[in-house]
Amino acid sequence: MRIRESFTPWRRRVVDPLVADLRAALSVDRVRIDGAERALMARDASVFAGGVAGPTCFPVSTAEVQAIMGIAAAHGRAIVPRGAGTGLAGGAIPLGAPIVVSTGKMNRILEVDTANRVAWVEPGVINLDLTTHLTPVGFHFAPDPSSQSVCTLGGNVANNSGGPHCLAYGVTDAHVLAVEVVSADGEVLMLGGLDAEPAGLDLRGAFVGGEGTLGIATRIAVRLTKNAPAVRTLLLSFATVRDAAETVSAIIAAGIVPAALEVMDQRITVAVENFVGAGYPTDAAAVLLAEVEGLAAGVDIDAARIDEIGRANGATGVRLAGTEHERALLWKGRKTAFGAIAQLAPDYYLHDTVVPRSALADVLEQVYEIAERHDLVVMNVFHAGDGNLHPLLLFDAREEGTLERVHAAGAEIVRASLAAGGVLSGEHGIGVEKQRFMGELFTDDDLDHQARLRHAFDPACRANPGKVLPSGHSCADIQALHEVPTGVWG
Amino acid sequence: MDLHLDPDELNACVQCGLCLPHCPTYRVSGDETLSPRGRIQLMREVQLRGAPVTVEVRASFETCVQCRGCEPACPSGVPYGHLIEKTRETLAREAPGSTRWSRLLLAPLGRPGLLRLGSSALAVAARLRLAPKRFGVPTSLPVRRRPHTTSGDDVYLFTGCVMDAWQRDVHIAGQRVIEAAGFGVTPTGDAAPCCGALHSHAGLTDTTRRFAENMIAALRVDDRPILVDSAGCGAAMKDYGRLLGTREADAFSARVFDIQEWLALHVDRLPVVEPLDLTVAVQDPCHLRHVQRVHEATRIVLAPMVRDLVELDDEGLCCGAGGAYSLLQPELAGEIRGRKLGSIARAAPDVVASANPGCSMHLGAAGVATMHPMELIARALDVSPARTPAAPPPR
Ligand SMILES: Cc1cc2nc3c(=O)[nH]c(=O)nc-3n(C[C@H](O)[C@H](O)[C@H](O)COP(=O)(O)OP(=O)(O)OC[C@H]3O[C@@H](n4cnc5c(N)ncnc54)[C@H](O)[C@@H]3O)c2cc1C
Ligand code: SF4
Ligand code: SF4
Repeated sequence: MRIRESFTPWRRRVVDPLVADLRAALSVDRVRIDGAERALMARDASVFAGGVAGPTCFPVSTAEVQAIMGIAAAHGRAIVPRGAGTGLAGGAIPLGAPIVVSTGKMNRILEVDTANRVAWVEPGVINLDLTTHLTPVGFHFAPDPSSQSVCTLGGNVANNSGGPHCLAYGVTDAHVLAVEVVSADGEVLMLGGLDAEPAGLDLRGAFVGGEGTLGIATRIAVRLTKNAPAVRTLLLSFATVRDAAETVSAIIAAGIVPAALEVMDQRITVAVENFVGAGYPTDAAAVLLAEVEGLAAGVDIDAARIDEIGRANGATGVRLAGTEHERALLWKGRKTAFGAIAQLAPDYYLHDTVVPRSALADVLEQVYEIAERHDLVVMNVFHAGDGNLHPLLLFDAREEGTLERVHAAGAEIVRASLAAGGVLSGEHGIGVEKQRFMGELFTDDDLDHQARLRHAFDPACRANPGKVLPSGHSCADIQALHEVPTGVWG
Repeated sequence: MDLHLDPDELNACVQCGLCLPHCPTYRVSGDETLSPRGRIQLMREVQLRGAPVTVEVRASFETCVQCRGCEPACPSGVPYGHLIEKTRETLAREAPGSTRWSRLLLAPLGRPGLLRLGSSALAVAARLRLAPKRFGVPTSLPVRRRPHTTSGDDVYLFTGCVMDAWQRDVHIAGQRVIEAAGFGVTPTGDAAPCCGALHSHAGLTDTTRRFAENMIAALRVDDRPILVDSAGCGAAMKDYGRLLGTREADAFSARVFDIQEWLALHVDRLPVVEPLDLTVAVQDPCHLRHVQRVHEATRIVLAPMVRDLVELDDEGLCCGAGGAYSLLQPELAGEIRGRKLGSIARAAPDVVASANPGCSMHLGAAGVATMHPMELIARALDVSPARTPAAPPPR
């Protein structure tokens, strides 16, 4: 569609040299400056309200991304890469009126090489689209965030995203062989390679999880995973959350490596069941979704053992998904869990911390206790197999003072996880959300090294400034933010 | 500008983005301004923060196909359909100029005689290649139509406006099938000329209300079921209860059934037939799948009638027809159709079954062989001698 421009009352924006340069490099309709349109770009799926987005660009090629980076540098402006905007840590929100670079139109699957189990994709390809594309040839892309039907591979790489099935297969980092990157000064770099052991430093590894602060990924070589010949999915119900958590530890201790182990507590199970009608028991205090993959004979044995271990640890019911349809519905329920929340409250704050598996049950109890103390409703849904907790705090931001309570409770939850020997983020990234906790996990020395790595890629701090590293360790970031006179885009 | 949206409905979206891939305009553009989440956000900017309704904002609202694919995808149950309908209604009222095209286009729909006359003229023009290409008028439009006949008073068959003028054969096939199941049918004909669905999509909700009241009055005679063979009309008529907010309208809406939905309840009354030797792909019209949510019925009634019934791999993504959308937004409608054509090509059917006149014409204009499920069933019934039991299983 061609969107014609409105001329009133923005005559000055037509002469804005930055916009003129961007439009000359791309096209008029792929550089958006409408106020309300830019307001969209100020948010992602997190609770954080960003600053004001500058012009929003929709490049279609590496060369165009390069041109945008060059123009940004020439005008002294920062850029923020944006995939589908499903990030939960505010990684894609603009701080200080940067140019937003959306990868929405860079969504081609360029090459699939099943012999070498690798595919080249553009960064805007939707995670599930790649897997659907590969289904006829019997492969898939293993990392499966719950947002996989929406989120982009560029976003997955930037956040090093995980998903239920990363328990057995590893997170995004393990599935990215090479990344073509346009750095902040407009240079095109190829990080990593298709060889088993690429020579030199593993800069690819540094880029994965860089949250857009190291440049923009413009092409990605991903590893393809062969579909398992057989899958068994079990749904176990429990009378207490503790029983569910202990079953998880017992399954792993028994030497079984399930493809996925997911727990949901009662409140969230009720909301999910209301949406999908998959037959989740709404009277159980917690449910455990366990999946095993492999050869048919093996998965039957594993499924039987999980059944046995579950019952020994207090499972009140065990159900084996009988058909592919039933299995798909169960997963649909799990994967839409966060979205189903709005049935209960208009806002939620989703946390993401990791604790040692053995501490799961204890930390969960603390989470419930913290929420109660702050007079908040909390729900728990988590990747139990790797101790990745996702407590969700429900609230209505329109009620005065709630947001403060939510943030206070959130901070306590993060600290409780750290105290139990955990880490800050399992998969959602640091973004603007967890910056202030970085100092509690890392020493000043660690942070300085991280800042130096970042400056090696981006000395002027123009790529997604103000994210990840706390301000004391990224002074140049702050400088980049302040270069823009506030109100230019207001 | 106050868009008059319900604050709770507007606030219900948690911005998770799970609706994005189910939105045809986002799919083809990769542009969040053309996504459900984006449109809701723009509504908020306009209603809550006073953002001006610029050309860009207007374009975002006007390019929405109103397929409502985003609704079943939304785990939070955001009533997007209400939001966009109300938005369009407010915009149409505040800036009537913007709807002149749709007003002009939709004007004949409530006047069946005029519409048929105009359609016959268009049909002749299409044959003589005088109709503008952009309109995609099929050369198969009928110049003359077989008359409707009443066979009993068990059910009404809603015949409507454009469909009656352009695809009356579908009504006749539907009637044939319902009769074969042993029911007498009264076609509604000019008594209930138009359901007003297209008007409410264009924001002309007042016209829809007027049509709704007329229709309820016209079909008040008794409470027999009203069968509808156009998915868009059925969805609109099932919504009269909400639209008018009266008990009478509620009772009327409860009588409305999609024809497949109703037949699926009585499918055992159809004679057993020799399946047609065809591979048929089911294309679910959006208003059947996302709004009425009764698309499973199409499979139940078609499965015994054809050799192979296959699914498309796009999870019911819109085809881009959207009532008058393909005329008003031809460029986007074409791109959206492009995706559907890819999906159809992968399924490689002999024919595509589509239960909505808009979809079948939009796909037909791109060279896809489409038939209404009722036409397929009627053909299967005609080919097999009626009421013969199934061939005995081979020993
Ligand atoms: C309902 C729901 C469920 C979720 N479930 C999970 C889950 O199970 N596991 C999980 O890990 N996450 C989950 N997430 C979080 C989120 O979906 C992931 O972080 C996802 O990878 C983000 O992808 P995106 O395309 O939306 O990126 P965005 O949100 O647009 O961006 C995320 C970050 O990546 C950067 N970025 C984007 N594209 C590029 C690029 N081409 N080059 C460089 N940087 C780039 C952005 O600047 C930003 O910092 C969930 C989110 C939601 C809403
Ligand atoms: S799926 Fe629903 S809640 Fe999520 S962004 Fe879309 S409309 Fe909003
Ligand atoms: S109704 Fe259809 S076109 Fe409109 S926002 Fe929803 S999915 Fe997109």
